[in-house]
This record gives sequence, structure tokens and C-alpha cells, in this order.
Amino acid sequence: MSAATGPGTGSATGAGPGPVPEAAPATPASTDWQRLNPRVVWVDLAQSVLSLAPSLVAIHFVGLEPSLSALWPLALVAVVGVIGAVADMVRWMFTRYRITATDVERRTGVLVRRHRTMRRDRVRSVDTHAKLRHRVTGLRVVTIGAGQQTGAGESALFLDALTKGEAARLRALLLDRRSPAEREAVQSADRTGEAPAPAHAPSEPAADGGPRTDRDAEVFATLRPWWVVHNMFSIWAYLMAAGLLWSLYWFFAMLGIDLLDIATAVADRASLGRAGTVALAVIVVGLIGALAMGVNFLTSYWNFELARVRTGDTSQLRTRRGLFSTREVGRDESRMRGLSIGEPLLWRWMGMSDTNVITTGLSLWNMEQPTAILPRGPIRVAHAVAARVLGSPSPFDAPLAAHPPAALRRRLWWATWVAAVPATAVAVPVASDAAPTWLLWAALALWPVALLGAVIAYRALGHAVVGDHLVVRAGLLSRTTSVLRRDAVSTIAVRQSLLQRRLGLSTVSAKTAAGWGAYEVPDLAAHEAVAFAARAAPGVLDEFVVGAPEPEEPVAGASGQGRGW
Amino acid sequence: METLPVTQSPPDPEPGPDGVRVRLPRLRVERRAMLWWVLRALLQWGLLLAALVVARSLWEPARVWLLAPAIAVAAIVAVKLAVEPWWRYHVHRWEITEQATYAASGWLVREWRVAPTSRIQTVDAVRGPLEQLLGLSTLRVTTASSSGAITVQGLDRRIAEEAATRLAAVAELVEGDAT
Repeated sequence: MSAATGPGTGSATGAGPGPVPEAAPATPASTDWQRLNPRVVWVDLAQSVLSLAPSLVAIHFVGLEPSLSALWPLALVAVVGVIGAVADMVRWMFTRYRITATDVERRTGVLVRRHRTMRRDRVRSVDTHAKLRHRVTGLRVVTIGAGQQTGAGESALFLDALTKGEAARLRALLLDRRSPAEREAVQSADRTGEAPAPAHAPSEPAADGGPRTDRDAEVFATLRPWWVVHNMFSIWAYLMAAGLLWSLYWFFAMLGIDLLDIATAVADRASLGRAGTVALAVIVVGLIGALAMGVNFLTSYWNFELARVRTGDTSQLRTRRGLFSTREVGRDESRMRGLSIGEPLLWRWMGMSDTNVITTGLSLWNMEQPTAILPRGPIRVAHAVAARVLGSPSPFDAPLAAHPPAALRRRLWWATWVAAVPATAVAVPVASDAAPTWLLWAALALWPVALLGAVIAYRALGHAVVGDHLVVRAGLLSRTTSVLRRDAVSTIAVRQSLLQRRLGLSTVSAKTAAGWGAYEVPDLAAHEAVAFAARAAPGVLDEFVVGAPEPEEPVAGASGQGRGW
Repeated sequence: METLPVTQSPPDPEPGPDGVRVRLPRLRVERRAMLWWVLRALLQWGLLLAALVVARSLWEPARVWLLAPAIAVAAIVAVKLAVEPWWRYHVHRWEITEQATYAASGWLVREWRVAPTSRIQTVDAVRGPLEQLLGLSTLRVTTASSSGAITVQGLDRRIAEEAATRLAAVAELVEGDAT
């Protein structure tokens, strides 16, 4: 499949040696329409055949009775596999892409033809990932993103799939943010040997004059195997175990073995009583789930590496990871607006943390969590990485201002209200003997828990302005510290509810294009709120800030005769 | 050690801890806006109340259960008709300068927002059916943030349109992608 590895590269530039005419398509990229790699079709076909294998083996060699109930999953897999392979074939036949001097274009679709054009200077990310089947066959799925807003993932451009070499070439080509003319200048200089180009510059024919793959990478973090401990215990473990046991059950059911019967028989023999059995089941299933989570973590984060990669005059935070299926994501640092580190409540004692970048153009809702630059791991590592990403001294190390005690009072009030609702709801049925008394006690027991939650939430509050960054910390279930660049704040809002007004509190909200869109500082002292807001968004409030108490009456009447400008 | 590419930021104003306030936006909204808020409350909560009352009169066995919701909704309607419009009129204010858009709104929860003109992405003058009836318009100024829109309700139609046009003209002059 040599045809797929950028045939135009050599010929296009080779055509014009020496001084390049201005009008020539000033790019080393091919401008011919190209196909995806045809291996895709065979890979999918092979995969569906392979997924049938165990069942076929079971039927053939075990001599299984091919009953309808045992066969329907088999038939389903077969049908899905064939449909998938045919669809892939059609997709391959009707998909073309090309990269011109200014655009990335892709045509696809059979009944609905789509022609998507993306301007090259808008390309913000070129990510590759590969499932096991892609890795075995040397293919990569390439996702070209133009920095879409959250939720607009549809507008990315997928190429599924290209050869590994072609994917690397595309990536290098598209992320080189220099203008075509500059690129060409470097190229021709390289060619004629005039440039003071470093002698060790590799002369790969596939890559153009600009980026070298790994030479400029500055590694911030790599996987530590013990991080697996941080990723084994979560409520998802039970879901994982349920999935595993379910598929195990079905697999053995196809072979005519009922695992449920065996399990009940074992439980009966152990004779633990109902409570004991349930407890044991919970523990065993939890353990299975935790183990599965651990294995899952290790396979998906194997070889994890976070690095800053410079390409031309841009730099990216790049993560690569994966054992069987690999994924490589680059995040344009010029789009980054900050970092946020979350610490889940239940695991705070062991210093567990999630680290995400606050950036425009990456979806927070994506299952693959493209904003996470570190796997869940120790907070020390997160802080160390943050210091390297943001520059030291890290804003995360700065002392945060505590919030006034009134903020605690507000939380205690809310906790009391929240606890009062179920208590009053069960009070009447309990009083009229319609419900057991313990229900009321259970409802009342919520109160101290809620109060404790209020205290924890209060202690999580903090804010500061450190250098060019705004630091905000809040959150009960996940105490999240967010560091946001002050020049990224696009709107500043100060809010006050009736209760807050009584308690002398205000909530300052810094709105930005990146991440969650708004980063809030809940419950500042009202008299500090304006000063803090003014520092959080430098210059924005200047016109409206007054040192003295505000004037009582507005100047103009309702009819808007005297407009403010 | 590398730092993020940060554009130059002006020196901190470093205001004194206390006594720093924002002045109110200069302009009030139209008095007609009060009528709009009344009509809006009638259309939303008033219709709900009517539905509850009708259901109560038609559906015998549900009478006991519908009493509490009906009373609650009636109370809400009363507050929304008697208090909210008046209160909102005293809170809602707006102002647009060369540098920024500034608006205060709300009643039970008050809020003021400021967006610098350089960050403005779109400016809309929106007119719902009720607003058309009253000759009112809502000015909506959005930035790149998904939650950063500034809305000014209850402006005269002409004023809102003029403001939108001028704001759009000013915002266009500013360089950058406004994120």
C-alpha cells in the first residue's frame, strides 16, 4: 500500500527546484484526492470472523446442540459483522480526502454526499487512535479538529483509517502553523543548502521541512504502575463486574452450563444465611470489578506519557497511551486557558486527584476525556505537572483566602432545609402509623450528615489572584481547584440571592470560552466581591468602580433619552 | 521553565479591601416592561393556576390532593403579579459604553454582569410575541462563553435595535477571536 503514503510529497516539491515561483501551490502536500487505506475493510471482516470463532468451536468440537436460544447471539454477531464489513467497503469506496495549500477536504457518503472543507489554519488538533485491530495492521484513525466549541464534536473530520506513516505525515503537515510561503522558504532553503539548518535535521522524505516528531518533546509525566490503586476503587467497579459476569454467564450458557445454578449451589453449601451471602456476594463482585478496573486502567494507560511538543511556533500538550488500543491527543497550548484539579471527597485522604486542562475546543462530555492530561493519580504528581505546565511558582501552591463564616452559616441553613424535607415528608405517615418509626429516625439521621457536608463544603471554599491567574476552589463531592488565566475572562458577573444579601455574601462568576464556561467563587464577603471581581478581570470594571458608595438614583429616565454613549 | 503564552496584563488596580463598589448602570428599562412581566406571569403561572382550578372542579376525587398545589400556585401568581414586576423595574438597569456592556437584573436573586466590548461575539435584539405587542425588545449580548450572555429585557424596540447596531459596529473593530 505504498500509494497511500503521500505520493504527492516528493513529486510536488521536486517539480520546482531552486527558486520557487510565487504562484505555485506552496505546499508539500498532495493535492490529489486520496483514498483511505483499503486494509480497513479486511480488518473489519477478519474481526467479525474472529468474534464468531469461539462459538463455532463450541458447536463443532464440544458437539453442542445448536438450539435456537444458544444460536441467536451467534447469528446476531454474524449479521452485525457482515453488515459492518459491507458498510466499511462502501465507505472506503466513496471516501476521498485531500490536503491542499489552504484546506483539508473530505468527500464521503453514498446516498447523502458530504463534502467537508476545513481551513488548514483553523486546524487545532490532529489526534490519532488505534484499536488493537488497527495496531496489528499498522493503521491509525485520524481525527482532525478545528477547535470546535463544546458539544460540536460532529464537526471534526475523521479519517478511518490511514497507515501509521501517513497519519504521522498528516499530523506533522497540519500542525505546522507557519504560512505556506514560510514553509516553502524553509523547504527550498533546505534543498539548496543555504539555510543555517542544523546538520542533524533528518531528511525524511515524508515529512516536510518543519516538525520533527519527538526531538522537541519535553516529558512532564509518565505512568507509575502504582497509580492503578487510584483507579481500581469506584462505583463503576460494580458496573464493570456486572458486565463481565453477564457476558461470562451468556458464554457458558451457550455451552449449556448454567453458572447461576452453580453459584446458588455453592452458596447453599456454604450456608451463610441470607445476610452473609449477600455480603459475600457484594465483596466478591466488588473485588472482581476492582480487578477488572485495574486491568482496564493498565491496558488503557500503558506507556502513558504527557509531554510538551513544539511544532513551529506552537506548542502542544500531548498525551499518548494504551497497550492494545492506543490514543494520542495533542492540545494546542495557545487555546489553553488554565488547569483544574479535582479531588473526590471519599478518596481525598489518599490524595487522589483528576487533572484537566481548561481549554477551548475540547468537549468535556467526551467519554475519552480529551481534557484529562493525567490519569487519576496522586495529587503530588498533579501539582508537579501543573507547575511545569503553568510555570512556577505554580498558582496551585498559592495560599487561598478563606471565606467569611457567613458562608458556613449559609451552608448550614441549606443543609438543615435539605434534611428537613424528608423528615417532614415521613413525619405524617409515621405519626399515623402508616410507616414504621425507624423511617423517621433514618430521616433525622440525615441531618448531622448534611451538617457535616456543609462544613466540608465550607472548608473547600477558597480564592486568590496569583500573577496572571485566578484561583478558585469549591465543591463538596469533588473539591475542585481551578486556575484560570485572567485575560481569558470574557464576562464577569456578581450575584446575590436574598439569603446571601442578609448574610452579606456575594457569588462572583468568571465566564470564559473554555472548559465549563463559568468558574464561580461562591460566597465571598459582599464588600470584597467587587474588588475581587475587578482583579479577576483586569480593566473590565474600571469604568464602573467607584471608591465611594454608589449614587442612589439613576441619571436617565425610562424613555432612554440620555443614552450612556 | 516555560510559561503559557500570556498577553500582557495591566498592573493590578489593587483597590482597597473595602469601600470599592460598582456604580449602578445609568439607564433604566421602560416602564412598559412591568406590564410585560405581568403578562408573562399570567401566561405561565396564571394558566397553570387556571388548569389546576378547572381540574379541581371537574375531577371530584382529586379535590383534596389538588388543594395544596392550587394554593401554592395561587400564592406564586399573587407574588409574581404584585411584587415581581415592580421589584424588577427597580433592579433592572443597563449601560453600554465604548469599552463594555453592563447590566443588572433579577429580583430574588440579583445579578450584575459586565462584558468588555472586545469579547462580544454576537448582538441580538429579540422580540417575542408579547414584546411585539408592547413595542419592547430584549437585547442579548453574547461572548464566547457558553454561559456568558448578557440580556437586557424591556427596552424600547428602537433603542434596542440602535444599541445592537452600534454595539455590533464597535465590536467588529476589535481584533482577535474574542475567546
